[in-house]
Amino acid sequence: MPEPKVVLFLAAFLFCCGVYGVLSRRHLIMLLMSLELMLNAINIMLVTFSRHWAGKNHDMLGSHAGQFFTLMVMAVAAAEVGIGLAIIVALYRRKHTADADAATDLKN
Amino acid sequence: MIALFWISFIVSLVGSALLITQKHAVYALLGLLIAFGASAGVFLSLDAPFIAVSQILIYAGALAVMFLFVLMFTDTRTEEDVGLPGAVGSRAVFDPATGRPSKKKKKKADEEEKKPALSGMVMPKPMAVAVSLALLVCFTATIVTLPSDYNRFGPLPSAYDGINFEGVERSADQIKTDPNLLPFGSTEAVSRTIFEGFPLAFEVVSLLIFAAVLGAVLLARRHLVGIPGTQDVAKESGHA
Repeated sequence: MPEPKVVLFLAAFLFCCGVYGVLSRRHLIMLLMSLELMLNAINIMLVTFSRHWAGKNHDMLGSHAGQFFTLMVMAVAAAEVGIGLAIIVALYRRKHTADADAATDLKN
Repeated sequence: MIALFWISFIVSLVGSALLITQKHAVYALLGLLIAFGASAGVFLSLDAPFIAVSQILIYAGALAVMFLFVLMFTDTRTEEDVGLPGAVGSRAVFDPATGRPSKKKKKKADEEEKKPALSGMVMPKPMAVAVSLALLVCFTATIVTLPSDYNRFGPLPSAYDGINFEGVERSADQIKTDPNLLPFGSTEAVSRTIFEGFPLAFEVVSLLIFAAVLGAVLLARRHLVGIPGTQDVAKESGHA
């Protein structure tokens, strides 16, 4: 078995990669992809804590709660990507670009 | 298990590095796919096979295909290719006489062939690097100061430990015939957690996905006369 702290470090690193992607890219699809990477890091963290709890407390319902939350995060991420990509398609029809800096209609 | 974990560790680092460095959106999506697949390996090494399989099904299967479709619909060139501001002028300039991209674009493509191998990468942005590195340092400091029982995982509750979903201890004879005793992370155990522990959250998520489907259809639909975002599209296709 891997050590919990190593897995948590992997999750933190993936999360920071996602943060870097969100901060540095202006293409909206790249932004959504980096967001997905951040959610994936959270999933890894949840599963790690779930496994850690299962090793301490032999309580089946409580130790699977982390995995259940991972499934919920996946469902919410899928819904979010569906809406986000629809918004990108609508923005592309209007502005002919998927650049985040082009969406300035509400400015001023 | 430990070998699987370390392979997945390295591969997911490579995948996320690909995602944040590649200029071309399809290559970045490939990096994201690699990171997702490696995360499934991490889940497998953490005794969560059901989560690993649903990770591959939902993320690598469904989400990646959705991303690919939208990349097909939109302009995949990023702001680094076309320069800022990347608004209306960033489209490929088409020559109406020939119906092909004009010479200016062709010249640019010729220049791109002579560029070195690193030209497919994005130059790092200093502020973004500083912020994400600071965040990583904070997270690492938090992880290092975790209590010592986070140094190793405890032994799994096996199906023969005599504790079932109701938390009732069973004798050795009852264990062999009790259907409530399930191995950790199995499909049965996760589904019993969903439907016995959190049925309301499950139903609320189904409602959320229903609303998301409706919203996506409404947003991406064409020919909605009277709604500002879609009217110009209807006009354009009417002229053509």
